[in-house]
Order: sequence, then structure tokens, then C-alpha cells
Amino acid sequence: MTTNTSQRFSANEIRQYTFKVGLSRTEGGVMELISEAYTFVLGGLTLLTMAGAIIVGLRNSLGVGHESALVASAVAPGFHSVTLLQASATVLLTLAASLLAVEMTVGPITMSVPQTAWWLGLPVRRRGFIQPGFLKSLIWPAVAAVAVVIPIALGMASNPTPGRIALAVLCGMGLGWLLYGVAAWCQITNSGSWLKVLTAVITLVAPLTLVATALYNNTAGAASITGAQTSWMEYLPTSWPLLVADGAIWPLIIVVFAVLVLGAVYLNLERITTRQLKASAAAGAYVAGSLMSMDATELSKSLGGGPASGTSRVRLPLIFHGGTVFSRSVKTLLSTHTTMILRSPMSLLRVLMLAAIPASLAAVEFLGNAVLIAVVLYLCAHFAATTLGATARFANGNPAVDMLMPLPAKVVRRVHYVLPALGMTVWTAVCFGLLLALGVGSPALLVLALLAGPGLGAATLRAAFRPAPDWNMPAVATASGPIPTGAVKAFLVGPDLTLISLLPVLICLIAGAVPAVAFPAQLTLTYVAFLWGTHVRKPKSAKSKGMFGMPPAPVAK
Amino acid sequence: MGHVLDICTPRILSLELQPEDECLHPRIYFEAMSKATNSPQKSPARREPAVVRADKLQAGYGTTAVCGVVSFSLHGGQAMALVGPNGAGKSTVVKTVVGQLEAVSGTTLINGAEVDDRTLDFRREVAVVFDDDAFFPALTVEEHLAIVSAGHGVEDVEETISAELEFFGLAALAKSRPYNLSSGQRRRMLLASAFVRPRSLLVLDEPEQRLDTAMRHRLATRLRAEVDAGLALLVVTHDPDFLSTVATKALFIADTIHTMTPTQAAVAIASENPHAD
Repeated sequence: MTTNTSQRFSANEIRQYTFKVGLSRTEGGVMELISEAYTFVLGGLTLLTMAGAIIVGLRNSLGVGHESALVASAVAPGFHSVTLLQASATVLLTLAASLLAVEMTVGPITMSVPQTAWWLGLPVRRRGFIQPGFLKSLIWPAVAAVAVVIPIALGMASNPTPGRIALAVLCGMGLGWLLYGVAAWCQITNSGSWLKVLTAVITLVAPLTLVATALYNNTAGAASITGAQTSWMEYLPTSWPLLVADGAIWPLIIVVFAVLVLGAVYLNLERITTRQLKASAAAGAYVAGSLMSMDATELSKSLGGGPASGTSRVRLPLIFHGGTVFSRSVKTLLSTHTTMILRSPMSLLRVLMLAAIPASLAAVEFLGNAVLIAVVLYLCAHFAATTLGATARFANGNPAVDMLMPLPAKVVRRVHYVLPALGMTVWTAVCFGLLLALGVGSPALLVLALLAGPGLGAATLRAAFRPAPDWNMPAVATASGPIPTGAVKAFLVGPDLTLISLLPVLICLIAGAVPAVAFPAQLTLTYVAFLWGTHVRKPKSAKSKGMFGMPPAPVAK
Repeated sequence: MGHVLDICTPRILSLELQPEDECLHPRIYFEAMSKATNSPQKSPARREPAVVRADKLQAGYGTTAVCGVVSFSLHGGQAMALVGPNGAGKSTVVKTVVGQLEAVSGTTLINGAEVDDRTLDFRREVAVVFDDDAFFPALTVEEHLAIVSAGHGVEDVEETISAELEFFGLAALAKSRPYNLSSGQRRRMLLASAFVRPRSLLVLDEPEQRLDTAMRHRLATRLRAEVDAGLALLVVTHDPDFLSTVATKALFIADTIHTMTPTQAAVAIASENPHAD
């Protein structure tokens, strides 16, 4: 209490000390990461190579087009897409809203949870803690602007000269920095909750307008929506880089606005409260966890300000009287799982939204590439599968609940499989039905996808019951601190089975045709996925046969 | 609350905290009660400005209050224990007092200034230990404490840290990483972080949690000595022995809010939870 004090260290010195000590103690390198995950990486590359060879072979043998599969459009001739302007403007609007929504949650001014716990109580100027990270993070809106604006500007501009494209990118950077600055200002002043709601709605609704417009265009014929009717979208601030690419200069005023807002943020960095920093740190940790589990629902909750509370009116019977103990227990478990799913209707809505995203690509002419649709379809399928796996993940985290049932573990696991399998089959029907309506695929591909649905249900279980990361593996130094290599291995459990289950469908989608052999192949893979996904791992101790296969030494009692 | 009503004298019940009523100001009340109940933890009347002064403070989340209106003052050399059943809002009150939550209404002054943890003075004077189980995975126990100690400009960092590691029984674990420690050892480490730095106000939320009986007793005795030497202590606790040793006054937070003597509060806790160790 009466400790003698001398000159204090600055925040910068403390920050550097923390990082240097942490990094000096890491035992691994990037190669450790690669070697840890190499079986998965190698397996994935082998699968991709085989798939590529099959695609080329199929296109040649079935005589489907003469262009490379990598650049071929998946959309059949004669189908109408939305106008280029509507598509570009919607993509830019959605990306801008997403960027703002994410930044308003995790915050451009951010710290990790341990940093908030151990640094914020120190009597040093906090600028030294938060400024370096904030300034470094300004690179991300700039990178995003380059990645997004260049291809769109090249596709949209009437006379794309390097100078105009460069100015369009500058305008895009200005837009990104302005949004970044707005998010930071809201964080500092603890304001902007209405903006958060607005960005969430835009992110959700904007991509669906593309699908809706494309469906309308394909059914309305002559009455379809024309470019003139959507020209107003060019004047949305998020579309200003497109105007610059077309020769306008005035939209570059956005760069000035961005500099002004960022200047105000820079001057007021230290006004941010501990409350705000802790909230953004917690949100960041939640988002990182959701990304690790690749769960769209958790991710959405984490970006939307945490889990919702409230009561549900869904009440299903949990006690059954007829039949054997076995059948009653199975019914109770099924009823419980159904109750849990029905009590989160937003999750079901998200699963349906994910089914519409591949179709939104097909609705845009320049995004209708078969490989791009296949990649997005794979990601959406996995996010949908993990979203439907919330109940299974809960069971994995709380095994005592399943143990209450007088059922073998294998049966319990298979009961967990029923609803995800059903859900993913419906998901494939909606997803491939929409794609078919927009000219992607064929009725045969839809049937093939329906056969893949139960396999995706198994992928749900594999992701939900994946083993915990081995935190004893060597740590690898990264910019955000040490990461154990075991975490990477754990991350790949789940997405692997989604890929295997969907492989025949994806190959046929890219190849543009469905040969007869694809059906037995898909059925076989779905069955393998079912066996793999519903397999119950034995605990390590039960499998252990002692060192080098010798029986373990007896333990003295 | 039924138990509390049984053990409290009618006089205590009639003195239920009414902040609007000046004559029932907690400090005046407490001093009067200290004399009346012949408590062994008498606290001298203080003339210095209060280290903490909460005025009509209502704690909660957003606009939703979790407990009634609280007013109290805490001077150097005093230890106030916040007691009451789970979920009554004790932790929310202390978090609001130190500015980690926004007050629904009312104000708190620390050393005469409005609570603002962005000021260096606040962080220099106020040490807070909540149950934040967050650590840098690659840093050892002593390195965590070094950050705190050096950040506060302590002259003899190594000596201070080794003394506290010794006190908290962590000397042999100084070079261990926090996630290799038991939950109780991590708790000790968190508590040690409050003692490797200067402080005039110490705020602890259930410090007895996860500590063994011997450590609880040692901590309570140490805190009492520091309070007697002039520290202001605000502590949430469920441990009657800890409370009896440390506190000079208590605030019972439940459906209604009462000020009590430490002895009465200890009895109230014990009767609320007869199986508490």
C-alpha cells in the first residue's frame, strides 16, 4: 500500500515487453503449422487434383463446351441475370454494410481479453496500447478496397484506363476508411445502435434482392427490370468508386471526409472507456470462437451483440408412455432436439438464407462462374450444416444430458443425426431448386444434391463432436500472439466431411453434366459419411495399450 | 430475508437505508451503530474526505436496475462489506462504483472526483480484482505481476513480486504459466496483482472464492492490517469469518437494503447459508 514508486514504464514499453516475452517463448514455426496439418492439406490437394481430372474428363467425354472449366459460366444460355449495375451496386452495398457491422461490434479500436485485464488498470496513457493496433488495422479497409473495386471497376467502366482505376481504388479506400472512422467514432462515443440495426438489415436483405430480381426477370419476360430502372443505384455512396471509374472526380470528396473523421478519431483515441474496450475484446473473442467452429448462428450472434434472451412458446411433449423404454427414450431425445431447433427460428431462417446465397451469384452475370459458385456453395453448405448442429454441439459440451438416457452412445449419436440429415436434405432441395430456376444445373443435379443431403447431416455431427484442440502442441508465434498448432488440426475436422459429401455434386456442377455413375458414387460417399459422422470415438485412455504397444505397468494401490 | 429479519433487532429494521433522509446517512448511522453495539471493529470518526461516496446510486444494465438505491461513503481506514444473497446485485454495485458499468441513476465520487477510469489518478489509486480469468498464455506468473508492478512504477519490482508470491504461496510456481495452475492458484495470482502495486482503495469481488481456509484467513488478516493502516476496502463476500475479520461496516443488499455492523452481517450470512464453510 505504501510501496515506493519511481518512474513508470510507458504503455508502449509495456506492450513491447508483453509481446517480446511471449514471442521469445514460442517453440514452433510456420513449418510446424504446415506439418501439423499436412495430412489434411495433402488430402485436400489430392482431392482437388482428382476432382479437376474428373471434371476435365467428364467435359471431354460428354462434349460439354470447349472452354476451360475454370472460366466456364454455370448459367445456361437464355436465362436472364440482373443488370450489371444492380449487381455491382448491391455487392458494394452489402460489403460496405458487412464491414461496418463487423467493425461496430469488434471495434476498430480493439484489444485482446488478457490485454484488457492486465493493461487497462495501469496508470499509463492508453494511447500507447491502442494507437499502434488501430493504425495498423487501417490497412484492412484499404486491402478490401483494392480487392473489391479493381475487378468491379474493370467490369463496369466504359473506358477503364489505369489512371481511372487507380482513382476508383482510392475512392474505395476512402469509403472503407470512412466506414472505419464512423465505427471507431461510435465506439468512442458509445453511440450508433441504430446504425448497427440498419447495417444488419442491409447485409441480410441486399443479396436476396438479387435472387428475387433474377427470378422476376426470368418469369416476367419483356417486363423484366431494365438498366434504366436501376440507374439510381449508381449514386449510392457505396457505388461512388464505380462513378470514378467512369470518369467522375467529385466522388473523391469521400477521401476528404474519411481523413476528417479519422483525424477526429485519432485525436480522441484516449476517450474510449474501459467498458467499450472490454466489450469489443469480448466480442472479438466470441467472433474468433465462432469462426473456429464455422457456425453461422454463433457468428451471427457474436456480430449482433451476443446471444438473445427471452422465452419461447414452443412446447413439445418430452414424456412418452407407449412402447419400450428404448423407443420412449429415442422419442424423448428426438422431441428435445426438435424443441431446441424450433426455439431458435432465426437459426432456421439463416439456414434458408445460406441456401439462397449461391443463387445470388448465379443471378449476376459476371459472378456466374461455375468454380466460384461451387466454392461458395461448399462454404454455405458447411455453415448451414454447423448451424443445424447447435444441439449436437451442446450435447458435446454437456455430455451428462445424453448420458441420462438409457441408450447406448452409438444410438444417441444416431438420434442426433436425424434432424441435421433431414434439415440438410431440405437445404439442398432449396439451394439447388433456386439454382435450377436461375439456369444453373439440371433436374439430375438436383436429385444428386438430394442424395448428398444426408451426408451433409453427418458432417454436422463430425464438426459438432470434434475433439478439443491439443493445447500441449508447440505454439507458433503470430502477429496476434502464440497459437498452438493443435488448434489448426481441430479446425479442419468437419469441413473435411462436408467436402467429401458434396464432392460428386460439386464435380458435376463444374463439369456441367451429370453422368449416370455419379449417382452410385454419391450414394456410396453419403453412406461413408454417415458411418464416419456417427462414429463414437473412444476416449484415449480406453484405446491406450501402453507405451510401444506393451501393456501398461500395474499401478500400486 | 426471513433469517435476517429474525436476527436483526427492531432498531436495525427501522433504520433501513433511506438515502433521501439526511439523518440516516450511512456514515452517521454506522458510527452510531458502532457505539451502540459495542462492536470489536470500531472505526474512528473520520474528518478526511471520503475515498468513495456513492449518492443515490442505482446499479443495473442499461436502464434496468438490479437492486435498490444505494448511498454510502467509505473513508481511508474503513472496510465496507457488501453482503446478500446470490443475484441481489452486489457485484453489479461494485462494478458500477468503479465505473465498469454505467449507473442507471445516481453518482459515485472517488477521492472527490466523478468516477472516470480514463484518468491516471483513478488507476493509480484504485486497485480492482474481479474474477477475470484472462491471462497471456505465454507469460509466466511473475511476468504478469511484473507488468502490473512496473506499470505502476514500483521501485523494487523483483523484491515486491517475490514477497507477494511468497505470501500467496506461489513462490514455487513463479515461472509457471497461468493455464498450468489450478483454479485456486490462478485466483491467488489475481489477488497478488492487487498487492504488487500502490493503492488507496481496494475493490474485491468475493476474494474468498476458490481459496483454501488457511489462505482465506491469511488474506483476511492482511487486509485488516492494511485497513488499519489507512486503506479503504470495498469487498463483496459470502464468508462470515472473512467479513468479521476484515469489515468495519456492511451493507446488506437484497430486496431491501440495510446497513449493518459486521457482526450482524456475519450472522446474517451464516443464517442465509448455514452450510457455508
